[in-house]
Amino acid sequence: MTVSARRSWMSVALCLAIVGAGAADANAYREKGKVAEIADSKMTVTPPRDWNRLDASPGKNAETWTLDGEQLNDITFYSGVEAGRPLVKEPDKKRQPLPKFTESTLLIEIPELLEGTYRAYKQIGGFSLTGSRPERFLRQEGVYFTYEFTDRDDLPRKGEARAALVGKKLYMISFDAPRLHYFDKTLPDFRALADTAKLGN
Amino acid sequence: MALCAVLTLTSPALAATKTKPAPPPPPYVGVYQPQGVDELGIWREDDESEQKLANSPVAIQDEALTAYVKSVLCTAVGFDRCNATRVYIVREPSFNATMSPNGTMRVYSGLLLRVRSEAELASVLGHEFGHFEKRHTLASFKAHRKGTDFLSWASVLASMSNSAGVHRNFADLEMSVYGSLLRFSRDHEREADLLGIGYLNGSTLRPQAASQIWRNLMAETEASAAARGLKKPRFDRVAFFSSHPPEAERADYLGALAMPEGDGRDEGSEAYGRALAKWLPVFLNDQIKLNDFGGSEYLINSLAKDGWTAPLWQMRGELFRARGAPRDLAHAADFYLNAITIEPELAEAHRGLGLSLVKTGRTEEGRVALARYLELKPDASDSAMIGMTIASIGGNQ
Repeated sequence: MTVSARRSWMSVALCLAIVGAGAADANAYREKGKVAEIADSKMTVTPPRDWNRLDASPGKNAETWTLDGEQLNDITFYSGVEAGRPLVKEPDKKRQPLPKFTESTLLIEIPELLEGTYRAYKQIGGFSLTGSRPERFLRQEGVYFTYEFTDRDDLPRKGEARAALVGKKLYMISFDAPRLHYFDKTLPDFRALADTAKLGN
Repeated sequence: MALCAVLTLTSPALAATKTKPAPPPPPYVGVYQPQGVDELGIWREDDESEQKLANSPVAIQDEALTAYVKSVLCTAVGFDRCNATRVYIVREPSFNATMSPNGTMRVYSGLLLRVRSEAELASVLGHEFGHFEKRHTLASFKAHRKGTDFLSWASVLASMSNSAGVHRNFADLEMSVYGSLLRFSRDHEREADLLGIGYLNGSTLRPQAASQIWRNLMAETEASAAARGLKKPRFDRVAFFSSHPPEAERADYLGALAMPEGDGRDEGSEAYGRALAKWLPVFLNDQIKLNDFGGSEYLINSLAKDGWTAPLWQMRGELFRARGAPRDLAHAADFYLNAITIEPELAEAHRGLGLSLVKTGRTEEGRVALARYLELKPDASDSAMIGMTIASIGGNQ
């Protein structure tokens, strides 16, 4: 095979790869009122408005939903994280491991787990937990908490989350968005969505 | 120009100077203004970046701390030189400092956590100032442009040929251009090291501290790798893509370049400790939450060399509780108790103790500790959750 022939085959292969990648990265539409299963788990939500689900998943048990793009409003579902596993996929298992959810993790320690995950994943210093209180979630005793952080893009963000431990697994929905405009704009939509979360039937 | 340590042949020029102390810095020629279109452009971009930084929430707005760090820079490089700079403390837990062409110095909180004296800090700031004084960013920009221009033309010429040999030669050429650019970067670092130690030799601070920083960093990296079950890192090899010389080389030549007569000078450890007292617990907290058990444990132990304090015991407790193995929780409880012995009203230590005890099955003792936390900090942001945890213990009995 001559060099030019090889090159044209490579071009075809490259085009196919791009098309294939495009199909794999297509994001999904989550239509208002239709029950949606989260990350192939028992957790479902019935969105009160239309949402976009991103195909790029942050982890085995996680799924990201957004309205305007994940940097502007990011809802992440953590659905049934098992003991010994991190909340999201580790950037480098050996050199940059993330904190793990363990069997002995208490409900009150879930906010610290999210904080540790954000700090270790993003390698940031500015993160603070601003409040927490007991609140039922998935018909279980749960925790509601709020936080603030500044991401690598120097944009201050606010967040809130609800979590519960069911059958030694962690279920959580978190929402974070830039403090300026987007957090307040999307918060009612997030709360309305999180209120519809159910486990099983 | 970043200081950050990246895994990385000894420079012949520097090797020749190894046996004698670094020369004093060249005479100061006054405030510098950008010249030529390239430099004007770089400065303009830099001005924008500085403006963004000044308003960024990651810049620590503590005038006293910023003034102190700047005074350490001035002690090292002299007051005439240091007036050309603006210092910003950036809250980021990595070992780093940077200096950009328009005189913006960024000092990372991770660096402030790791140095132990004014002399150590001055050696890093002096190195960064060396990049500024020698206009390394501009030289680097021009070298990259020349190298990539050359490769662009070479690729056009290579694409006109059907010979496999020509394409192989082009690939070799590409690697040698990139390799030489990286070598150029490492030589800049060595030159900045030479200038930095020159400033320190001419200052009132102990120049031998410069070598100590790299020895400490190597020890921390080893501790971090050991805790993660990784191979012992090598500090004596230059990787092809390294922008900086290897740490062992830097520690060796900085030690050799330090003026022997300066060995008896003060390092300014006590003054450094006083100036950073308010911030070190904050920076340490940022570090221990990075999930780097070995590195964090090394830093806590090095901070405790002059004596264990309640916040240090408490932080060690947090580190062990976060890892969370049963033996870690038992150790964490002991560390929190040590903190409480020194400072009985340290609320966070009672919280950590209570949670560690609850998790190891000592629920009644845990309940008492959590109740004490609430007494000491009734308005804590997690008071309702602590209340719920106490109630659930009661329910289990």
